[in-house]
Amino acid sequence: MAEVVLTNVRKTYGAVVAVEDLSLAIADHEFVVFVGPSGCGKSTTLRMIAGLEDTTRGTISIGNRVVNGLQPKDRDIAMVFQNYALYQHMSVYDNLAFGLRNRRVAAAQIDAAVRNAARILSIEPLLERRPRQLSGGQQQRVALGRCIVRNPKVFLFDEPLSNLDAQLRAQMRLEIKELRQRVPTTSVFVTHDQVEAMTLGDRIVVMKDGLMQQVGSPLELYRRPVNRFVASFIGSPAMNFIDVNVTAAPTGFRLRADGVDLELPQRRFAGLGAHAGRAVTIGVRPQHLRLGGAGEVEHVGLSGKVMVTEQLGDEQVLAVRIGAGDIRVAGVDPELSLATGTRIDVAVPMDNLHLFDTASGAAIR
Amino acid sequence: MSTIEATPVPRSRFFFEALAPGGRRAFFLLGTIATCLLFAFPVFWLVLTSLRPGYAVYYVHRGSDFTLDNFQEVLGQEIVLKALWNSFAISTLATVLSLGVTVTSGYMLSRFRGTIPTVWFGAIYVFRCVPYVSWVLPLYFVTRAMGIFDTYWGLLLPHVAVHICFFSWIMKGFFDGIDPSMEYAAMIDGCSRWGAFLRVALPAAVPGLTALAILCWLYTWNEFLFALILTAQNTPILTVVMAQFVHELGMEWHLMSATAVLALGPALIVTIFGQKYVIRGLKI
Repeated sequence: MAEVVLTNVRKTYGAVVAVEDLSLAIADHEFVVFVGPSGCGKSTTLRMIAGLEDTTRGTISIGNRVVNGLQPKDRDIAMVFQNYALYQHMSVYDNLAFGLRNRRVAAAQIDAAVRNAARILSIEPLLERRPRQLSGGQQQRVALGRCIVRNPKVFLFDEPLSNLDAQLRAQMRLEIKELRQRVPTTSVFVTHDQVEAMTLGDRIVVMKDGLMQQVGSPLELYRRPVNRFVASFIGSPAMNFIDVNVTAAPTGFRLRADGVDLELPQRRFAGLGAHAGRAVTIGVRPQHLRLGGAGEVEHVGLSGKVMVTEQLGDEQVLAVRIGAGDIRVAGVDPELSLATGTRIDVAVPMDNLHLFDTASGAAIR
Repeated sequence: MSTIEATPVPRSRFFFEALAPGGRRAFFLLGTIATCLLFAFPVFWLVLTSLRPGYAVYYVHRGSDFTLDNFQEVLGQEIVLKALWNSFAISTLATVLSLGVTVTSGYMLSRFRGTIPTVWFGAIYVFRCVPYVSWVLPLYFVTRAMGIFDTYWGLLLPHVAVHICFFSWIMKGFFDGIDPSMEYAAMIDGCSRWGAFLRVALPAAVPGLTALAILCWLYTWNEFLFALILTAQNTPILTVVMAQFVHELGMEWHLMSATAVLALGPALIVTIFGQKYVIRGLKI
């Protein structure tokens, strides 16, 4: 059993707050991904769990044991670094064996563990080589192997795929997923790439400016973001935002802006009541917009001018100008030929409309 | 219609490019040989002088009488033998002692932030700003007051101090080039902070360390000013002994050259041994 529990963790560097009041319980064998832009505190959090940084306040426990005062070596964790961090002066075999040798494990046992890890990761032919003779992908596999051999309570990943090219990254993502099934271990994975977060995580923690914004399963975050930041960070292409003014209408609310005029029913958007007369932001994912008018029930429509089309082969992504801003429409038939300046109508089911308070960014429910 | 203008080619480049590829190579080779000769010639002249009898040193290019008597004569002098040994011992000790400090100090400057590294860095910086010559006189008084004037320690300690100031920066550069996450990985893999330094960072710094060791050794081996002021009869040092062949009765160039050639030997051995590391070290 190795759950990781962070309680009111805070980290400051002088006057700079890196992580503010973070509380999170990571269950045994759970794979949690910390995601956010650079400087959001995600790596600092990981390094605090690893023991490479002290916490300014709060406690961290691994497997029901508070580890605040413990050295990294005593926390029974393993970590994969962005730049692999392999010991350059040792062979791959020695790299894998290093941790076990430090713990005075018997040589035969070390050999078995190293060969087993090498087999799992298909790096057996590389065991006698030096790290600098390996490609980036191979080095990252060795780094993963170094974690596996130790059989630790927790795996920590610090942006392990960032240094790989796009193709290799996609492949390693799959390998990490596969590895999870073979070696189920509590894992904390840090990345700035929302695709990695969505594909790998059981749960995702979105962070910004040292503050935890939302924790939830990938689908929860995608479907019910708690604020505009989470909504914009998760999903690709990013969510469209349109600032509008809300006024009360006979059966609901009227949302108006330059080029936008929508009416939303009271019963579905009761939360808007408190925002009448104020500015709110509509959020719509590019994938949820469909070409055509809002003929169907429970749909709202927008109309604008096509500015740019991006042909991706299986779909087109359009940039459509509505009022002064552009929104993106994904999933458009790739055969459709749309000239710049063409007027088009797009519609979105009301279920897929997100509303945020413009001032605070919080979701309106 | 647009016109394409020719960009003017610099004259020197034009000359070089006008040469056929083979010609360029020959030109380059010639330049390299000329440069090597420029540096090798004084050494050649020194060796030549050391092989000439005393009366012929001013006419090295004339006459053909060569002799090994000069070597016999200087090796017959006890002070030269003693100086050879002293210089060797002090160079080696100074290298070992100063590297012990330099490595840890360079590591600290590279990896740690805070008051102590900042103050230490400041101190080194200030020392480096002061002209080297101005330390000699104070050091003379200090070594006298400490009672170590004209002893090994009297020369060793100032040398170690100078090396630490000069080489901590270079060592910091070496460690800056080594990824710290390697040490973090070692700490997670079961090492303490010291263990990570000794078992992971230090082995990775070996090329730099070797380069520094050689530079350190050669520096002390060739150093003259400290040796001249801080030692007397008890601790003869090779560079000082060499200079003493110039005295009120004349200049014994042949003996001085012979001693210099003797001094060249160990330095040459050290350099040949560590050449590859020095070059690798200088690249950083």
